[in-house]
Amino acid sequence: MRITVEHLSYRYGEKDKNLTVPALCDVSLEINEGDFFGIIGKTGSGKSTFVQHINGLIKVQKDSGKVTVADFDLTDKKCDYKALRSRIGMVFQYPEYQLFAETVKEDVGFGLKNFRPDIKEDEAERLVKEAVELCGLNYDAIKDVSPFDLSGGQKRRVAIAGVIVSKPEVLVLDEPAAGLDPKGKEEFLQLLVKFHKTFAKTIIIVSHDMDLIAEYCNRAAVFKGGRITAVGTPKEIFSDYENVIDCGLQLPVTAAVVKTLKEKGVNIDCDFTVNSFVAAVKRFKDGGNL
Amino acid sequence: MRDVSFGSYYPAKSFVHNMDARAKILISIAFIVAVFLVRSFHFLGFAACAFFVVLSAVTARIPFFKVIKSIRTILFFIVLSAVLQVLFNKNGTPLWEGGFITDIGLINAGFIVARITLVVTGASLLTFTTTPVELADGIESLLTPLKLIKLPVHEFALIMSIALRFIPTLIDETDRIIKAQKARGADFESGNIFKRLKALIPVLIPLLISSFRRADELADAMDARCYAGSKNRTKYKKMKLSYRDIIGFIVIAGLITGVVFLNKFYIVLAVGV
Amino acid sequence: MALLEVQNVSYSYEKNKPVLKNVSFRVEEGEHVAVIGHNGSGKSTLAKLLNALLIPASGTVTVDGFSSADKKSLFEIRKRVGLVFQNPDNQLVASIVEDDVAFGPENIGVKREEIKERIDFALSAVGMQDFLKASPMRLSGGQKQRIAIAGVLALKPKILVLDESTAMLDPAGRAEIAEVVKTLKKDGVTVISVTHYMDEAMTADRIFVLSKGEIIKTGSPKEVFSDRETLKAAELCVPLATSIADKLKENGVDVRGDVFTAEDLGAALCV
Repeated sequence: MRITVEHLSYRYGEKDKNLTVPALCDVSLEINEGDFFGIIGKTGSGKSTFVQHINGLIKVQKDSGKVTVADFDLTDKKCDYKALRSRIGMVFQYPEYQLFAETVKEDVGFGLKNFRPDIKEDEAERLVKEAVELCGLNYDAIKDVSPFDLSGGQKRRVAIAGVIVSKPEVLVLDEPAAGLDPKGKEEFLQLLVKFHKTFAKTIIIVSHDMDLIAEYCNRAAVFKGGRITAVGTPKEIFSDYENVIDCGLQLPVTAAVVKTLKEKGVNIDCDFTVNSFVAAVKRFKDGGNL
Repeated sequence: MRDVSFGSYYPAKSFVHNMDARAKILISIAFIVAVFLVRSFHFLGFAACAFFVVLSAVTARIPFFKVIKSIRTILFFIVLSAVLQVLFNKNGTPLWEGGFITDIGLINAGFIVARITLVVTGASLLTFTTTPVELADGIESLLTPLKLIKLPVHEFALIMSIALRFIPTLIDETDRIIKAQKARGADFESGNIFKRLKALIPVLIPLLISSFRRADELADAMDARCYAGSKNRTKYKKMKLSYRDIIGFIVIAGLITGVVFLNKFYIVLAVGV
Repeated sequence: MALLEVQNVSYSYEKNKPVLKNVSFRVEEGEHVAVIGHNGSGKSTLAKLLNALLIPASGTVTVDGFSSADKKSLFEIRKRVGLVFQNPDNQLVASIVEDDVAFGPENIGVKREEIKERIDFALSAVGMQDFLKASPMRLSGGQKQRIAIAGVLALKPKILVLDESTAMLDPAGRAEIAEVVKTLKKDGVTVISVTHYMDEAMTADRIFVLSKGEIIKTGSPKEVFSDRETLKAAELCVPLATSIADKLKENGVDVRGDVFTAEDLGAALCV
């Protein structure tokens, strides 16, 4: 599913003209099928408002641009949001706070039953089980347990299972690693890679963690004050140090080191993932230059 | 994040904004009493009350459309009361031969509309010019005498101000949960009333659970800051009556006197009482 | 005697499921200690034991000579140990900044004039003096958390315990808190940061590594982050720059000196 956003603007507080704050201002962006796309920017730069447009949680305002996802036209009043949302999963910050059902099975199945009201019970259970296990949990052990009795890490996995249960082709995640400890974060990112390889052809991740963006994303967009200031590969984005700093962001560790070395006259050419950085330094070193 | 402004506080620098919250609460109560003192068919009394509302709104620098807007939320209720009066009043002369709408019915309807409108606009002026916190503090201060009969006034006031403090937080949270469930295909907008109520469960339960968690954490945070009830507690905010409040009291006293006077020497506007 | 002494402390919420096992340490006045550990390692429980929100099942916590086991010293301890929590939204009681900061002093019966002074002192300490009349709802996460710190500082504590106080903040907010901690340390406040951000722990004088309810390592940041085995056992990891340096070494690149930050790594590669 290709996502095309053209000249999108959005103002909060539409009713009272004096209070309007432009949250998005003439934003155009294309996200291709297969992208592991990073959305970066300071808090309040418009990132969240932007991604919530993609599955129609925020509706495109009148005369404020166009959003198209595959053949869904989100400016069209007759757009079938339910069908759209079944194909775009969205994981909010601290997703464990959306758990509500009495059992894990019921909670994970919630989305499935909303999207496919006529689904057969055994088919639903099969899909729920698959989602829970994909998230690294033992389905038979926890299916009848209350989600509130699980540990923090398990809760988050159950919540994510509840989103991926409909096997969305696009998965949008807003700061998904928040509150996880280092090991939890690492495991979670591996989970995302697994999703990307299987059903979620496109992954869009909103994050403050530049190291994560540099390591996992193939493309990214930088937001500042409701506008996009840069779009490209992490290599392109983090090579433009001035823009990154100007947008109130930090450089990933690899890019920061490359910058330091560049200032000393040493040019390291890498795409800012750890492995490419190490390989590039080694190449340089083997050339006897460092 | 969206700017959630709670309540109807209208920030401005004005005579009324600067008045003591306690004075404003007392004056508002007195105003409601004044409105209820106006006897049937004495519309001049209402005119006096309306004049008071207009005067207050002007001194408070509240745009007039704001005051009018405050009626909107209960407009349905006002219209319903008026319609019921018109339809079911059997007294008075029918307006046309054999008709069921009587002149008294119409006058009564007008009376009810005037009464509710005045009470609501008057009360809205209190909330327009007084922050919820000031209101809570004012109520606490006014209720202080009740401490003598061992009523936990301080605790009530604290509960009230904490509730006020958390309303915007919970509104934000509700918004987020609704969006999260919508993303999972939840539908809050279609189906009959029962279906819609049922659709709210996935919102209400997480909200309830998170409120408990917040309450728990808040209790810890309060304990950590040495909270131990009202015993030996000092108060940072001090309320002081000023000349403004005295003027306010004089004006409201004038209004009540006026209404009582008009009640005695009224001009009959209605017929057939 | 040390300012804070924790001796053989154990604690459990449920029977036979100890969250902390026989934990002992002391913290001297003016020190900055970081407690690191995975989620569920008992970090937050430890933080709550330090200011008598929890009382140890066995062992003692002594602050400035007051033992938390003694009910009468409850408030003496809480006045001395300020505790700031994770979620700024859940620890602010009032809708106006100055009222919130006043809450602590009001509780301990400070006179009105002095409360005013304490508010000014506490808000300046966190650099929020211009927000006296602001509504916390309109502030950023970092600013809210600074107000929460000010609310605790208004009690003039000797020890400030930050219980994952940056976990919910964005990098800008984390930087604000780091700046506040730096200032407070200069003013002689003892700081205990409970965190799982390794870069935050780096700024401490000493690090305690907590794993499954036990302190398995104590030492300077350098000592702790050089001990890869212990970190692994505690389900933690070294800062990213350190792990990159390790990878470089594995690949035969000579990286001299200790590397904990991007600056270290840049410097190490330049020589």
